[in-house]
Parts: sequence; structure tokens; C-alpha cells
Amino acid sequence: MNQPYRRFFEALPGYCTIQDRDFQIVEANQKFRRDFGDYQGRYCYQVYKKRSEKCEVCPVERTFRDGQDHSGEEQVTCTDGRNVSVIVYTTPIRDENGDISAVMEMSTDISELKGLLRQLRESQERYRMLFEEVPCYISIQDRDLNIIEANRKFKEDFGSFLGCKCHQIYKHRDRQCLDCTVQETFGDGRVHHSEEVVSSKSGKKNVLVYTAPLHGPDGNIISVMEMSADITPIRELQGKLESVGLLISSISHGIKGLLTGLDGGMYLVDTGLKRDKPERLEKGWGMVRRNVERIRSLVLNILYYAKDREPVFEKIVIAELVEEVTEVVCPKASELGIQVSSEVDQECGEMFADRNGLRALLVNLLENSLDACRVDTKKDVHQVNIRVLPESKTILFEIGDNGIGMDRETCDKAFSLFYSSKGTEGTGLGLFIADKIARSQGGSIEIESRLGEGTSFMVRIPTAPKNQRTSDNPLEE
Amino acid sequence: MTDQKKTILVVDDETDIRDYISTVLEDNGFDTLVAADGQQALESIKKGKPDLITLDVSMPERSGVRFYRDVKESEEYKKIPVVIISGVDASFEKFISSRHQVPPPDGYIRKPIDQAELVDLVRKLTSS
Repeated sequence: MNQPYRRFFEALPGYCTIQDRDFQIVEANQKFRRDFGDYQGRYCYQVYKKRSEKCEVCPVERTFRDGQDHSGEEQVTCTDGRNVSVIVYTTPIRDENGDISAVMEMSTDISELKGLLRQLRESQERYRMLFEEVPCYISIQDRDLNIIEANRKFKEDFGSFLGCKCHQIYKHRDRQCLDCTVQETFGDGRVHHSEEVVSSKSGKKNVLVYTAPLHGPDGNIISVMEMSADITPIRELQGKLESVGLLISSISHGIKGLLTGLDGGMYLVDTGLKRDKPERLEKGWGMVRRNVERIRSLVLNILYYAKDREPVFEKIVIAELVEEVTEVVCPKASELGIQVSSEVDQECGEMFADRNGLRALLVNLLENSLDACRVDTKKDVHQVNIRVLPESKTILFEIGDNGIGMDRETCDKAFSLFYSSKGTEGTGLGLFIADKIARSQGGSIEIESRLGEGTSFMVRIPTAPKNQRTSDNPLEE
Repeated sequence: MTDQKKTILVVDDETDIRDYISTVLEDNGFDTLVAADGQQALESIKKGKPDLITLDVSMPERSGVRFYRDVKESEEYKKIPVVIISGVDASFEKFISSRHQVPPPDGYIRKPIDQAELVDLVRKLTSS
């Protein structure tokens, strides 16, 4: 090697060797000698890898074979035991005849770069993990509101619908939302938030949505990140607290009415006794009994409302149940001069349902019907009828009366909690609870009513609960 | 006590409360008429003009509120004193705040009713 070239060769900032066909190192530069020691008579694989035979994949060998330049990534061990990551480049050295006489191998230390790459990878993985595992829904949307990325929780609760529109996934709707925070963020580059109700695989959820812009290298907003926190439990709790407040005011209002009734009864009893007026005494005593009975049903309803009881399914003889509930309301009905009748179709034998729940439901509806008759001053004769008919998989209990009836608005609100059309007397609990019981057994209640004419409640209860195993259910044998 | 018995119209959808109020008033020297809703009450005042009306404003379908407005807007009946009887403070306040041209009621009694308070008020309002 000519003197100037040797100087360049020696000064090269990487490891540089010349190897023959046996991979024996015939020349090596200064940096190589410093880190790997004496090379004379030694082979590449011995020096670099401390191996006894050549590597399986060898770029030097490939260059000898095809005369081309090659490269590869390797890890080598210095004499001081330090491991160094290198990129290896090989190039052929040809003699005057153009034959390959040796191969020059040059390795650049990329340990630092490798370290940085590893850190970068780790940091990416950490961010990916944060993105995936954060306990809220994260999605990235483009300008057309397509979801281009979503985290694990989002996919779990809403499905893997990458490429679909945000409003299709969250709201099951084809049109975009009127106030779209994603669009607002695309518009002004700011963070926006809103509270939404979305439909997940497991039902409706209340979410608090935050949107933030994601900028490209040129500073333009390329996408928007939407982060939604599930606040359903908070909203439910809030709803329950509001209900408790309403319940208290509703109960105290109901109790005021009942106390007035009791006061009235006591007044009539007292003055009836003092003035020896048996009719007045009897009337007063009736008032006392009626109001005590109302307090009893109010308390039972409050208990039903306060406790979420699971239905207990058992075999019920339908005719017996109807007889039982009519007996409960008969004394009150005869006192008010209201006729109560029942009709059970012969086909209605037994059903598999929650006896206590069904009993409370029917008593609530019958009492509601009695009240509707009691306050009706337009008719001379009042009747309440309970009719039971079999349907394909349900039993229909139809409770009808010729009381005051309800207008459309009252019918629509009849099952709402604390809604009462009875003025000072109702607490708005009875029908709410009846509906709750029906639904807990997989059933339903419908109302048909005409103002001034009367009302019919159609209660449909499955003959057996939907998920009941056949072995437990004698009716499905 | 005045020479001639005064007549009080008791309007309440609840039979027991109607009976209670009318009995108390009768025992204290008044004649009573009863009505279960606003419409009945209107028919009743047309037949025999009462000297005072006790009215439950929280009856179904706002019939108490409508009746009150009908009475106070009528040249013929607007002078009849009306005592509101209600168990719901909120509904009374709402009733008061929602009235526009209609004058306020002449008296207000909260449920549960204090008999002496009721009798005194009725006596005071009918004695003039």
C-alpha cells in the first residue's frame, strides 16, 4: 500500500481489515488494532466473535462469491470484553487480471445509535401501552370523522370499526352530530369538550368527551384525538340521589294528605262519640281505616322502590293468585261501593313467575283502578274487573275499570317515577313499581284509557322466565 | 256569630278531606256545599252563591288552578273569598308565581289542617 494511502487507511474512523479467501486478516487499521489487538495470522471470526469457525452468514464470503459489495449488522466483542454493534460493509479488491484477491471489510460502530433506537422503541412502546391501557376511550379521527386509530378499551366496548365514522360507532347514526367537538377542534385547533350519551355493545353510556388537535410536521392539524371518559356510574348515582330527594318530597307530600285524612277520621270519631252520632262515628272510623291502609301500601311501595330485589321464580296456580289479589282489595272496594269481579280463562293453568312481585303488581294496579273509580263523580255504578287470558308465551292480566280515565299525556307519564295524576293523594310510586316488577320478569304493561270513561291495564308476563333451564322449569317439559 | 248561616263551598278531589273540612265547618255553624273537581265547583257556585270557597289547588289536571282563575276573572264571583288548602308548598308557590292578572288568594291553609286556624280564617273572611 502506498504511503499516503496507508496513512488514510490507518486514520479511518471505523474498523478496517483486508481479508483473504480463508477470512484470515492480512491488514488491519489502527482503530481495529487498538480494540481487537494483534491480528497477525488470525481469522476474522476469531478476532471479532471469538469463534473457532466462520460465521454462518458472512458478507466477506458473499463478496468473494459474487464480487459485489455487501453489508450487514453484527455484534462484535473487543479484547476488553466490550460488545460493540457495527454495520459491516465489504468490497472486493481485484488484482491486475481483475480477479478478486482479497476483500476489504469496514465496520462502523453504531452502538450509540442502537442505544438511541432502543430507547426510541421503548418510549414508543410505553406510549403505545399508555394509549392502549388508559382507562378511557381514545380514538383518532381524520377530517372526514373516520376513526383511524382506537385504543383497546374503545375496541372492546364499541368493536373494531377502524375506518368507520365516529357517529356511526358512537351513536349508530348516519348523520354527524349537530355540535361536533371534533369538527370544532379541526376548526380552531383548541381543546373542546362535551357530555354525550353513546351506545356501546353493553348498552348506553354517559361519557365526557375531550378533543385535542394532533399536528403534522408542517404544523397543520392532521387529525384530532378524542378522549371519552365513562361517567355512567356518576350519572347513575346522581340520578339515584335526585330520586331520593324526589322520593322524600313525594313521601312527605303523600303523608301530609294521609295525615289530613287521619285527622279527619279522628275528628269524626271523637265528635261522633261525644255527640252520640253513630253514623258519624262509623264514617270517621272508615276514614281512619282507609288512611291507615294507604299508609301501609305507601310503606310497602317505598320498600319495593328502595330495595332492588331479584325476582324469585316459582310455580304459580294462576286462578289462586287472582283469587288472592281480589281478596286483598275486596274490603276497600265494598266500602267504596265498587264491584270487583274476576275471570280466569280455563286454559290458564300454571305459570313460572315471581309470586310476591306479581302479587304486588296486581294489587297496585287494582288499587289504582279503585282510586280511579272513587274519585269519579260522573257515574253511579263503578266496576273493576280482572281478566286473565293465555297468549302464546305470555299470560295476559287485563285490569279494567270505569273510573275517571286518563288523557293521553297522563297515560304517557303514568309509569314515570313520582308522576301522579291524583293531586294531593298520589305519591307517583304505585305504577312506577308495577312497571318495574313487570320488566324485572321480562313482561310489560300497556295502558288503554279514555278520559271520563275508564282505563284498562294490559299486563303481559312470560309463562316462564326466558333464561330458565328446562330442568328447573316444569312448565316447559 | 252572624244571624244568617254562611255557606262555604269545599272543593277537594279527596272524599275524606272533603268530608273532614265540611264536617268541621258545619260543626262551627256554617252551611257547606262540596265539589270534587273544578267543573263541579263551577256548577255549584252557579246554583247557590257561596260566601267563601276552600280550594285544593293540587287536584288532577290542574282543575283547581283553572277554577280559581275562572272565579277571579268573573265579575259575578270575583268577590267571593277563596282559601287555598294545599299539602304541597311548592305547588302553592308555583301557583302564586304563575298568576298574572289574577289577584292573590284571600287565605292559605297548609295540610295537615289546623282546625282552629281554618275556622278562624273562614270566620274572619265571612264576617265582613
